Amino acid sequence: MTPTRGGDSGSLDPDLGSVDRIRQVLIRAVERHCPSALAAHREDLVQMALVRLLERRASEGTSPRGASYLWRVAYTVVIDEIRRFRRQQRQAEQLPGDERGTPGPEARSEIQGCLDALQDRRRTAVILHLQGFRTREVANALGWTEKQAENLVYRGLADLRACLGGGER
Amino acid sequence: MTESSDDLEQRFRAALPDRDERDCPPADTFWAAAAGELPFEQVRTLVDHAARCARCAEAWRILADVRHAALESEAVVDPPRPLAPRRWDRRRALLPLAASAVAAVGVWTALHPAPPLTPAVERGTGSTTLRAESPQEQPAGDAVLRWSEVPGASSYNVTVLTPDLVVLHQAVGVSARELRLPEGVRQRGAGGLLWNVDAVLPDGRTVGSPTFELRLKER
Repeated sequence: MTPTRGGDSGSLDPDLGSVDRIRQVLIRAVERHCPSALAAHREDLVQMALVRLLERRASEGTSPRGASYLWRVAYTVVIDEIRRFRRQQRQAEQLPGDERGTPGPEARSEIQGCLDALQDRRRTAVILHLQGFRTREVANALGWTEKQAENLVYRGLADLRACLGGGER
Repeated sequence: MTESSDDLEQRFRAALPDRDERDCPPADTFWAAAAGELPFEQVRTLVDHAARCARCAEAWRILADVRHAALESEAVVDPPRPLAPRRWDRRRALLPLAASAVAAVGVWTALHPAPPLTPAVERGTGSTTLRAESPQEQPAGDAVLRWSEVPGASSYNVTVLTPDLVVLHQAVGVSARELRLPEGVRQRGAGGLLWNVDAVLPDGRTVGSPTFELRLKER
């Protein structure tokens, strides 16, 4: 077997209908997860990202890259667009980045302290779970079996709840 | 009181500090992590960063949505398998029964070493293994990365990162099987560097290497 990274490449070239599906997914994701001030620009952000995506495809020639590659690049360019949008906003407000820097130790929350106290594997699994990853995706990202991921998320959440004072009963 | 997983998610998200994103890893690194392309230590570093950074947490959540959709609509990211839904709430009712099983699993885990943390995806173990051919330790003033040939590869893309996964240098379309580290990278490599290489095949597929370490020593 040829070891392609992550199994994410090597599929057939997608038809352009995929782009519309990707567009819908990205718009919905930005709407769900970004603050409202940024989400209000979701159509423009995604449109700019897709323009960059198609430009990149054109510049890379006609080699088939696969639908998965398209999803990957689409994700990458939309995050880049979000970051660029924020940089422009910051410049417009003339706020140097440092003014929005990391809060000091006093701002650390209880839940972050409890996460820090978890064992490495449990913490990583739990954070991915809290970011919205399903068990199977946690397993895939971390190179574990699904069962291992499930156990580690389960135990990690139990530890987290116990630390927060609301242990399982 | 029992707090549901959803409540924990809300609490976790509300606690994320809004920090400057200059130190944030590139978005493609997130995808690489989710695709199982990175070793556990690197994923852990990324995940820990995102637990302290609202911007990266947001990028991870968008990533989760995008990968769900990719799986559902294309079934290309991994071979199709039934997705595992979150079942924590249903399981809560079975906790008394499960407690003994969990204890048994705990004993088993304590008595057996953890399995090696290999990525789910096979990399560098097939017939076209990509290996580092340059020494792991090199003089800081003259460091060169070299790697083994992948038959048929049209070019190579090389990424050099710090141990905390900040990308220092990316070389795309390298035709040779070596890359001399630019001076700016060497100057920032005192704490060690990581690097990997992707061989680009004519059909657009890539063959990825594992991530290699490089230590620079002053003469």
